[in-house]
Amino acid sequence: MKIAILSKLFVADDEIEQLTEDMSRIISFADTINSASEEGTDFDNINSLSNVLREDEVVPSYDRERILANAKDSDEGCFLVKNIMK
Amino acid sequence: MKYELVAGFETHVELATNTKIFCSCTTQFGGEPNTHCCPVCIGLPGTLPRLNKRVVEYAIRAGLATNCEIAEISKMDRKNYCYPDLPKAYQISQFDMPLCNHGYIELSNGRRIRILRIHIEEDAGKLVHSRGSTLVDYNRGGVPLIEIVSEPDIRSVEEAKEYVEKLQLIMRYIGVSDCKMQEGSMRCDVNISVRPEGSEKLGTRTEIKNMNSISFIAKAMEYEYNRQVDLIESGEKVIQETLRYDDVTNTTSGMRGKEDANDYRYFRDPDLVTINVPRERVEEIRASLPELPFAKQERYVNELGIPEKDAALLVKYRRVAEYFERAIEGVKTPKTASNFIIGQIFRTVENEAEKEAFEIKASAESLNELIKLIDSGKIRMNLAKSTLDKMLETGKRPTELLSESDMAGLDEGALNELCEKAVAANPNAVADFKNGKEKAVKAIVGFVMKNSRGKADAVAAEERIKAIISAQ
Repeated sequence: MKIAILSKLFVADDEIEQLTEDMSRIISFADTINSASEEGTDFDNINSLSNVLREDEVVPSYDRERILANAKDSDEGCFLVKNIMK
Repeated sequence: MKYELVAGFETHVELATNTKIFCSCTTQFGGEPNTHCCPVCIGLPGTLPRLNKRVVEYAIRAGLATNCEIAEISKMDRKNYCYPDLPKAYQISQFDMPLCNHGYIELSNGRRIRILRIHIEEDAGKLVHSRGSTLVDYNRGGVPLIEIVSEPDIRSVEEAKEYVEKLQLIMRYIGVSDCKMQEGSMRCDVNISVRPEGSEKLGTRTEIKNMNSISFIAKAMEYEYNRQVDLIESGEKVIQETLRYDDVTNTTSGMRGKEDANDYRYFRDPDLVTINVPRERVEEIRASLPELPFAKQERYVNELGIPEKDAALLVKYRRVAEYFERAIEGVKTPKTASNFIIGQIFRTVENEAEKEAFEIKASAESLNELIKLIDSGKIRMNLAKSTLDKMLETGKRPTELLSESDMAGLDEGALNELCEKAVAANPNAVADFKNGKEKAVKAIVGFVMKNSRGKADAVAAEERIKAIISAQ
């Protein structure tokens, strides 16, 4: 439930039980990583790619309505968040 | 006891690319809030960043121009901190493998300020605090930056000013940034401490964040130096902290909030692959760098005979130096061009920004033409000066402004005639001169210059006049 609230997701009452079970399975699946051997594994740059670069050419940006569509709150074309200065 | 100031700089320079560092949104300054944004730069889940090629190139240029070594292998890391100006809750930066390492900038007193590293990273969004809440604009979010980190080698406010000015000038010359401090495209964090003179041990430092003017940097450093010395003298201790400078009260005060958290939990960004910099590419970029301002200044002094101070003024603005070099092509007296630019032309461009842009009506080619007319003795300095004024006003070329007779000079007979007329017309000055007032002759020369419309050679006229008077 906490994760749903933090992620700003709406969860219906009858979904809670199933989702809780799924979440536990996901977490225990992640735990299997701990049993893997670390020897001889280069965790950095595992795909061995390099220099995937983009040319410096402008592509039109998104409409502001679409940018702000998922914002919890907005004002004057800006994202509105709780005051962070005390 | 005497105390020595010790300072190091972290300088953020916004790169003059067309697009952001990891997406193709424009980097243009200003614009309505959140109109230069896309899912990548507002940090939506599932988006993938792609590195802008030009950011890498510009950072390498900056590194080479500040005598850095360019890393063969580099990578991007995530710097985690939670603050609304950073939509992903991390900034993509470089931690342990920056693009450039170990450079330096040499100051005019011969001291070298070592540069520890230069790395690339993304800028954060802009926050506006209003009525109990915070408005966030991500237009600036994702704009490419380089951060130039110096060693704590700066020992005075003067050195600090020169360091920042030189950095700014170099970045402008190599075309990687406009470095407009007032628009935030160059910002400095100043680390500062004091220690008893002669001591090798560094004192506890404080960091003044986000300085956006050279004069404020100087004032803040002076204030902070005095504050730290006072603390030590009164037996107290300097606390390591992050400070904000208030330009209204000219004081520094502690900053709270995000800067308290120092554990950024850096780790490699798994979405971005390794950057390899082939050595041939580094050499290509090195070869493409323009002559740097200080090399230029030296050349102006040694090869063109321009006084040191004037040369410094000419190279201070890239466009002015370019203008000067076009104006002196094939002329005998580069110094005349320099004098015209620093004197008459600079008077028409009032502030720093105008000198930076250097959009003046008289083209470099027409100044070149004017100087060649002087070189060949076709016109005299006075006439050249008034012609230049007209050129600056109208944008016309000197040949359009000067008539045939203006450029014909004055033959000896005509000069002689004019001098006789001048002597006859100024009996008082003649009498004064005869009574030993050497300077009185100047008034008679002035008469000649005026009536020849500046065409007469003042030195020859003076000689002639003296001869006429003594023959009387």
